[in-house]
Amino acid sequence: MPLAMAAGRLTARSDADLIQASKRGDLSAFEEIYAAHAGRMKSIAFHLLTDRADAEDAVQEAFLKIYKAAGAIQFDSGLAPWIYRILLNCCYDTGRKRKRQAESPLAAEPPAIPNNVPLQLAIRHALDRIHPQYRMVFWLFEVEGFRHSEVAAILEIPEGTSKKWLFEAKRELKRLLTESRA
Amino acid sequence: MTFDCKDLERALAVPELLPDAREHAKVCDACRRELWLWSEMSSVAPGLREEWETPDLWPKIHQTLAAQQKAAKRNNVRFDWRMLAGIAAALVIAVSVFIFMYSPSGHTPAAPRDSDFLTEQTLKEVEQSEAAYRASIDKLSRLAEAKLNASENPVAIAAREKLLVLDSEITNVRSTVAHNKFNAQLQTDLAMLYRDKQDTLKEILPHAQSSQ
Repeated sequence: MPLAMAAGRLTARSDADLIQASKRGDLSAFEEIYAAHAGRMKSIAFHLLTDRADAEDAVQEAFLKIYKAAGAIQFDSGLAPWIYRILLNCCYDTGRKRKRQAESPLAAEPPAIPNNVPLQLAIRHALDRIHPQYRMVFWLFEVEGFRHSEVAAILEIPEGTSKKWLFEAKRELKRLLTESRA
Repeated sequence: MTFDCKDLERALAVPELLPDAREHAKVCDACRRELWLWSEMSSVAPGLREEWETPDLWPKIHQTLAAQQKAAKRNNVRFDWRMLAGIAAALVIAVSVFIFMYSPSGHTPAAPRDSDFLTEQTLKEVEQSEAAYRASIDKLSRLAEAKLNASENPVAIAAREKLLVLDSEITNVRSTVAHNKFNAQLQTDLAMLYRDKQDTLKEILPHAQSSQ
């Protein structure tokens, strides 16, 4: 699903209007931005942090940063990529904090993909075993419905790289799923 | 093109080759399973999206932002007060320096003080008094003049010379006053000259009368 559609009634122009109003301190305009993006932001944050409370903290932190930095936004690539870039940075920060606070500093080995489980669950398990960059592109494109141009803008990579990483992600997933189901 | 199992991976990377791959999959179970898995991953992926209700999240964000806005407003007000206090301090310093530089005790030549200048109303009163004063002195002067001019008494001769000097001085000061009517000092000087002339005339009149 394209970003503009996923973002509901928002267009690039109304995004600009909303962010301008937010800059003037209009919190109801900022609430519209929240309503348009919060659901997807929570999902991405949960995918990265695997914990709902951590995901909510990251989304909250992201919105506070978005509001604070509203005056500095450049609309060259639209509002959404900028918002999701801030979210990813907040998730990485939260992840780092959580790692430091964790009792066991060793990263846990991803569990093996169980046999005879629904494909959706098998994919979820397989995703933990592929390269994080491939996983991120797969998640943004296939799960959240961003277009390659939008994925490229969020991750600040060329569009061709986004396509290549998606192919690599699916090839890895296919291999893992085929092995587990053999 | 003859499509083979080993071409499948390339077909997945190049969407234009997919129709050939699908044709091949009709007769190849292994490729059919791989193709199915490839497209099925995309079909089931949106179901991985995690959704849950968070009714407290926006209120928390809103509360934090509203508190930040309040704090920012308070800071702005504090800034305004600091700025105003700075401007006031600068003005006080500037006025103090000005007063020091231009005060009579300063290094620069003394300038007329505010009290040296007259208001319109006071000036009118001074001018009226001066006119009346001048008229009475002129009357006195006319009385004495004839007798003084005829007298060869040394006191009368000295008085004549003094009156000539006083009249000359009065003419000069009146000319200056005409250009600077509001200067109280000049008006006082003029009044003193008139008084001096009046005293001289009063003083000389008996001598002039007795010498005749």
